[in-house]
Amino acid sequence: MELSRLLVNYPYFISMILFCLGCLAILTQHNLIKKVIGINIMETGIFLFFIAVGNIQGGVAPIYDPALPEGVLYINPLPSVLVLTGIVVSFSVTAFALAIIVKLYYFYGTIYAPEIIRLR
Amino acid sequence: MQYLEMLPFLLILLPLCICFVMPMFARWKSEVCPYLALGATVLALIMSVMLTVQVAGGELLSYAAGGWLPPWGIEIFIDELAAMMLLLLCGTCLFVLLFSYRSLPKEIPPPAAGWYYTLFVLTLAAMMGMTVTNDLFNLYVMVEIVAIGSCGLVVAKGERLSTEASLRYLMLSTLGSGFLLFAIAFLYQVTGNLNYPYVATELLRVGEDYPFLMWATMSFFTVGLGVKAALFPMHIWLPDAHSSAPSPSSAVLSGLVVKVYIVAQLRIYFEVFGFDVFHETYMRYLILFLAALAMLGGSLFAFVQLDLKRRLAYSTVAQIGYIFLGFGLGTVWGIKIALLHIIIHAFMKICLFLSAGAVYYQTGRKKVTHFSGLGYQMPVTMAAFTIASLSMVGIPLFGGFITKYGLALGSLEADNPYFVVLIVLSGLLNAAYYFPIIWQAYFTSGAEMKFFMDKVPVTMLIPIAIMALGVIYMGIFPGSILEFLERYVLRYLL
Amino acid sequence: MCFHRCETFNNAGLQQVGTEGVVLLEDYITKVVFRYVLLFILLYAFYVILHGHLSPGGGFAGGIVLGMGILLYFLLFGFEWKAKLRRLPMDVAIVFIGLGGMLEAIKFLLPYEKGPVGMPGTLFSVGIITVVNVGIGLLVASTILSIFYLLVEEE
Repeated sequence: MELSRLLVNYPYFISMILFCLGCLAILTQHNLIKKVIGINIMETGIFLFFIAVGNIQGGVAPIYDPALPEGVLYINPLPSVLVLTGIVVSFSVTAFALAIIVKLYYFYGTIYAPEIIRLR
Repeated sequence: MQYLEMLPFLLILLPLCICFVMPMFARWKSEVCPYLALGATVLALIMSVMLTVQVAGGELLSYAAGGWLPPWGIEIFIDELAAMMLLLLCGTCLFVLLFSYRSLPKEIPPPAAGWYYTLFVLTLAAMMGMTVTNDLFNLYVMVEIVAIGSCGLVVAKGERLSTEASLRYLMLSTLGSGFLLFAIAFLYQVTGNLNYPYVATELLRVGEDYPFLMWATMSFFTVGLGVKAALFPMHIWLPDAHSSAPSPSSAVLSGLVVKVYIVAQLRIYFEVFGFDVFHETYMRYLILFLAALAMLGGSLFAFVQLDLKRRLAYSTVAQIGYIFLGFGLGTVWGIKIALLHIIIHAFMKICLFLSAGAVYYQTGRKKVTHFSGLGYQMPVTMAAFTIASLSMVGIPLFGGFITKYGLALGSLEADNPYFVVLIVLSGLLNAAYYFPIIWQAYFTSGAEMKFFMDKVPVTMLIPIAIMALGVIYMGIFPGSILEFLERYVLRYLL
Repeated sequence: MCFHRCETFNNAGLQQVGTEGVVLLEDYITKVVFRYVLLFILLYAFYVILHGHLSPGGGFAGGIVLGMGILLYFLLFGFEWKAKLRRLPMDVAIVFIGLGGMLEAIKFLLPYEKGPVGMPGTLFSVGIITVVNVGIGLLVASTILSIFYLLVEEE
């Protein structure tokens, strides 16, 4: 595979790296808040992938505007809509996780996972 | 007549609407919530019975939400599998709700009860949505709603252990849905569609150009939905979450929530990718291997647990292995039996968890070693418990026997005779950890050998009894259900 | 004058615990700037909400801007949560969840041909969609406030 093709498709690689970083953070971090941050990084990677899939080089945002000339190239709006829904979902997951962490802190007095397992 | 066409959509929308309104009642008039939840479930049950009658007549129903036709809009599609799952979900949830009406006040703090019912209806509606949807992204949204709702059901108890288990469940299931979403993104990138049949036809055309991507997508789906379905090495969240939840919600989580993920996985494997891709990417062998591990490992772990609900939770891990074994065999017979096992296991596990809840309600006992003489103090509950555990072990006349026998036949048919040994071994292990409980309950010396009626409300006894009767019914007359499911399986495997 | 400024810089970043356990940001610059910016934040929020059918944004994005603006105000100036007012965001959120859910359901049930067709570029031409957007905006704002409140207050 030529190097130029890899360079053109760089958003895919960045999104994959973000995804892996997020997974790593969820699985290996001991601090619960850092785990939640890991969730957000992971979802950001996926959203970047979606946006990159929908993007067309030289396209404009898919909003109808009479001022634009005829035959202008619009980008694919569907992935953007999916990402919007995904953002709302990840927001609610984050809020729920934070609420549970607050409750855990109330029970154990710490948000450090090994400490919680020790205190159990 | 226009409303009859909308029925598949109303089925999900009406419970969702009721649970949108329910927070108002939970805040200001908490005592109405159980009745609202019961009403929503009964409504959904009536609608799903109507739909099942239509589907049994040989008609497949589809509805495009908001009038946007399939390639663009969300399509609701009801075939035999979806109809079966709808009946199962609504029917069993109705009885679990009936049970929780009296048992909840003892298990969760009273102010949380209204919110608990809200989450219950939300989870039910999202589960129904997952089984009937025909759109990949809608599947993802429903998966997330089920994940949040079921975490809420776990955390409702408000104790240390359940809070911690719920956080672990939330983390791992979010990881799983991340994988699921990435897999959906891959599929969208290759095919440009989100609707199952359209994706399937596109994949047939272009799939061979992207062998690595197919592999990655397949494995992402397996991991993403496998974490949620508690396939063996990814089951670590399950025992904590299911054992520390209030008993009605552990019944629902163990009996139904895990199953709808399996159904979604089945749909993606066989409707979107097709059996050939499933076979050629070696995903089939991976599934078979993990299923074999689950059958042995789940039973072995269950064997050493002393807490009754923990033991039941590990037993769920083993039974998930049976279902995946049926899929992995890849024959019509194997998948049919696996689908039947989804139904039978739902009945068995709900019966077991509800009886564990009833035992806790009357005596406050949780350990398996404290069951002596219970067969005389709570005859109805322990009779149901005995029926369900005999069925788990695989004694003839009960539902579990049909699926064990069927899976053994299926693995012989598919030239995999080792699985027969595994099934027998797992059945023996099941016997080893269920029989001591029953033996203790009935035959301990020194206990008073006099029958008393259970001191448990009737609304808690009826669901337990009906679940046990369902197990017996499945064991004697599985034919009609199998014929009904065969129509679904034949459509996608031939 | 210069001396005075230096003193405030030294104090910048000092945290003070408010009456209700809310951590207040004691930052001179933020306070002064925010006093002038708040109105524009609210204005922008309503702009985004009302133009939901014309441009990117809509109920969710505008609601988040609105909620964040109000939240920042609370953080800076230590809004005294009066006994009646402190439950208000949650009540509003609960009521709007019910109403908004119903409206969304109706939107899904009706075929799209029967929906309102607006004039492109005109603000008030789509009937109920603007109303739904305003409702969603208020819902999201009050949800953010109630989440913040619940996380802060937690027994």
